[in-house]
Amino acid sequence: MSELSVNHLLGIKNLQREDIELIFKTADNFKRIINQPIKKVPTLRDITIANLFFENSTRTKLSFELAEKRLSADVINFSSSSSSVKKGETLVDTVNNILAMKVDMVVIRHPNPGAAEFLSRNVKATIVNAGDGAHEHPTQALLDSFSIRERLSQVKGKKVVIIGDVLHSRVALSNIHCLQKLGAEVAVCGPSTLIPKFINSLGVHHYSDLKKALNWCDVANVLRIQLERQDVNYFPSLREYSMVYGVNKEILDSLEKEIVVMHPGPINRGVELSSDLADSDFAIILDQVENGVAIRMAVMYLLAGKLKK
Amino acid sequence: MKVLIKSAKIIDVNSKNNNKILDVLIDDGKIIKISKNISEKASTVFTESNLHISTGWMDLHSNFREPGFEYKDDLKTGIKSAIKGGFTSVLLMPQTEPVIDSKAHTQYIYNNTKESIIDVLTTSAITKGIKGNEIVEMHDLNAVCCRVFTDDKKSLDRTEVMKIALLYSKDLDGLIMNFANDKSISNNGKMNEGVTSTNLGLKGISNIAEEIMVDRDINLAKYTEGNLHLSYISAKESVNKIKRAKKEGVNITADVSINNLVMTDEMVKTFDTHYKVLPPLRTEKDNTELIKGLKNGTIDVICSDHSPEDNENKKTEFDNAAFGILGLESMFGLIGKHLSKDLTLEEIIEKISTNPRKIALKQKLKIEEGEIANITLFNPDVEWELTKSDIKSKSDNTPFIGEKLKGKAVAIYNNKQFVVIE
Repeated sequence: MSELSVNHLLGIKNLQREDIELIFKTADNFKRIINQPIKKVPTLRDITIANLFFENSTRTKLSFELAEKRLSADVINFSSSSSSVKKGETLVDTVNNILAMKVDMVVIRHPNPGAAEFLSRNVKATIVNAGDGAHEHPTQALLDSFSIRERLSQVKGKKVVIIGDVLHSRVALSNIHCLQKLGAEVAVCGPSTLIPKFINSLGVHHYSDLKKALNWCDVANVLRIQLERQDVNYFPSLREYSMVYGVNKEILDSLEKEIVVMHPGPINRGVELSSDLADSDFAIILDQVENGVAIRMAVMYLLAGKLKK
Repeated sequence: MKVLIKSAKIIDVNSKNNNKILDVLIDDGKIIKISKNISEKASTVFTESNLHISTGWMDLHSNFREPGFEYKDDLKTGIKSAIKGGFTSVLLMPQTEPVIDSKAHTQYIYNNTKESIIDVLTTSAITKGIKGNEIVEMHDLNAVCCRVFTDDKKSLDRTEVMKIALLYSKDLDGLIMNFANDKSISNNGKMNEGVTSTNLGLKGISNIAEEIMVDRDINLAKYTEGNLHLSYISAKESVNKIKRAKKEGVNITADVSINNLVMTDEMVKTFDTHYKVLPPLRTEKDNTELIKGLKNGTIDVICSDHSPEDNENKKTEFDNAAFGILGLESMFGLIGKHLSKDLTLEEIIEKISTNPRKIALKQKLKIEEGEIANITLFNPDVEWELTKSDIKSKSDNTPFIGEKLKGKAVAIYNNKQFVVIE
């Protein structure tokens, strides 16, 4: 396989296993490049990319922008809270306005599930989903699996538990699809209030006991507790959450085996993850960040290749 | 003006002519003769193959959007949609702008539709402005023939207000309709909570949001002995609850929207806003129980839930799109396509004509000599494709364009007018 089966990256759900493997192979090359003295390649010199962030983001936006610049693309940025856009211009109008300035590719972060898919049907540009509500965050899932592959040599056969607020998480859903497509086993762990009732339909087991979940897994992907996404209190206090579901060095030391700890960032130190653990060798959090740039370069490079045809 | 209908099969369980193929002669708004081979002269003679005749169809939940949202639809185009669908009566929902909650508002609807072949009846909100707090002037409204009260899709949350509404309306023999939807549970949900919502990351509306309020309303109906009608039943467990309550003798009736009989939540899987509707599309299991409920009499009525929405409200992100699907034009054809194996033609007519009229108007029509001529003529077996030109609404928010349907109304007679449907 030398090209992707899709023209947009809307979600992991739409990808074949071969697509993911192609992205990884391409990312391997880009990771080598960004570790050289000259980190930049001229591959996307004639491509203009718009980063449209309708929701706050720091690291995803930086990572995309850096990836685009290392590929020598022309980059424009647009940030807006969705509410102000909603009141005036429609999403399609906003994006079409930007496309009228001859933009080839749109990276979009939006609070509404399906926003990227909606755009892909209604505007003429290649769409990269940088997170749509609680639906998908495909590049995050790709970089997570890429990081597991890097650390444990392969994803297939590994057991991964996703810990925390799965209900409001796009990272969880994309990770579940990605890991399963690559042959890993996935479970989730967290209070029942933060786990979708129909999670079993995805072939995912729910552990409500953190220790059991950690003993089962090879990799723990700890999600950020996103208080800003919750309309009611799904748990009584951060104190109790960290007591029951906080991952710390003490628990990890008590396990029968060594596991890998991941986090999509930004970390609430002392809540879902303890500081000593976040900074320890168990954690591959900064590798994830580095791989994020390589993965995003690979995605945009491969999608741009289809654009030229 | 005499109208002679030739060789029509009469579908009306209340008539001694049921299931007979006869000629029907109408004059000045009344059925004056029913027999074989009527040879009397008439200004209009109507004949058509496989012709069936029933009392006029009535839709229990329609939105014509006037006043306030004329860019979505208005009374004129709404009437056209009703005619296209074979309906002679529609009951409008009060969620207009302003909300229909006083005599003046119902009078506006009446004055602007009284010349029509369609009886355009309107509900009033239960509470002023559909705010859920103070009940409306029910006696005053009842004096202008508005006896049905509903806060429609907003659902009446406050239990004590619901209790008061059921008690107060009892004195005027009014009817309280409620859409059972506990908003503290379904709050901000966008589709059915299930496998599909989990996959799409869309906020789900669980069955229990409905069941909890069905339970509450049944208890209130039992206590107040008021007249309660539960609208848009969609969850399978609700059917059992209503069945049990009816068996106990509680005074309740219920309807289901055509949407919840012929579609499932899986159809949302590409974030297609055509399928965004309230109550949400549920699962095959729910639909099966709803159909069983229709069959055994637990659910009395199939309604179209005709809800025009303009492009700006539909062609947008799923979260921001409006709930609603057009219904009048396609309802009978969808029933024929999907339900004719489960329901007999007599049962179907009961659900779209006899029962809605009985529940909303306490009126009983019959296809017999001397009765009022309020009739729908139809062909239950003809297969046809719904095209854009069949949609008479200003809006076109239906997923059924291009779909093959079965059964079609061909003409209606009501209010001394006869219209052959194009």
